[in-house]
Formats: sequence, structure tokens, C-alpha cells
Amino acid sequence: MIDKKKILYVQTSGVDTPKRLYSPFVLAMTAKAMGIDATIYFLGSGVTVVKKGAAENVKEGSFPTVKEIINQAIAAGVKLSVCEQSCQLLGIERGEFIPEAKVVGAATLNDLVLDADGTMWF
Amino acid sequence: MTDANSPERADQTLDCIGLYCPMPVIRTNDEIDKLAVGETLEVLADDPAAEADLEAWAKRTGQKILEMGKTDEGTRFLIKKTK
Repeated sequence: MIDKKKILYVQTSGVDTPKRLYSPFVLAMTAKAMGIDATIYFLGSGVTVVKKGAAENVKEGSFPTVKEIINQAIAAGVKLSVCEQSCQLLGIERGEFIPEAKVVGAATLNDLVLDADGTMWF
Repeated sequence: MTDANSPERADQTLDCIGLYCPMPVIRTNDEIDKLAVGETLEVLADDPAAEADLEAWAKRTGQKILEMGKTDEGTRFLIKKTK
């Protein structure tokens, strides 16, 4: 048994690229099952993934909708963070995100990166 | 009756045949959570990623894979809850 580890996943791809959206959620929920702390940070276009009502309409091939995968990840205890500046860039208001996604800033992302034992960028 | 060559009997069995990554790992972890320390879980899986993934899961969680062997359907794991 190894000490509790942390992995940070950063999603920079948005709802216009469904193929890039599944991996961080699948990896993060699997991390939780492995006893690893998991956070997904949505940056740039990535913030569109956690906009209310958006992921319900995103689906690739035979996979479930991205919203179903998000719900599974949330149920597994994966933490979701949204970049404040990216929201301003894309003109999305604070209240427009799913309630589980916490709006945070650049300092938080820098801190999360240094705090994590590993990061993955999508 | 079991003979001396039959695999060790498990306290619980989890059928993951037909399930793909990451479900065998997620389901295995959920089932292990329900067991008492010292009990064993048999996992049957045909996901080609299951062997490597369950080994990685066991390494990270500290659970012990007692047996891992090929069957007609895929792979059978016998896992002991150690903590």
C-alpha cells in the first residue's frame, strides 16, 4: 500500500470535440476506485463541458452521453473545478455550471499542479 | 465436494464477463468494500485490460491478488481483502 496519491486532470477541450471528453472522467473515477484522490480542472474551451445542459447532448459512438460519465465520476467522489477566467473568456456566467463544479482561479490551478503527484492534460 | 486441484473457494463472486475498462476495476473495488478483512472475492473477467488493471488496482489499494488464471471465458482472479 502506497500513501494516498493525487492526480490532477486538466480538460482544455470543449463540447465541440466529443472524442476528447471521456478520458479524464473515466480515469478520474478509476483513480477513486484505486484510492487515489482525483480532481478535474476545466480550462479554456473545457469549461463548456460542465455548462448546465451541455453534456447531455454530447455523445460519441456507442458510448453513453458525456453527462452520464460526469454523473458517474461525481458519484465516485471526483472533484470538479472550473476556471473563472475561462468563463469570462467564453461569456459564461457563474450560475450556468452544474452545481458540483466549483469556480476557482489561476492560483488554484497552479497550486493543484504542484500539489498533485501527477497531472494529465486533455 | 471440491477436489484438491480445484481453485480455492471465494466468499463472494463477481461476474465481470462482458464488461470493459474501467468497470471490472470499479466493480471489484465496490465489492471488496462490502467484504470483511480476510474474506476473498472471485472476479471473472474477459476484458483484455483486466489483468494489468486489477494488478495496478491491487498495488494502489493494498489488496492482495492470491490467484490469477486463464479460464475458457477469460481470466479468474481470487482477491483477498487485507485491510
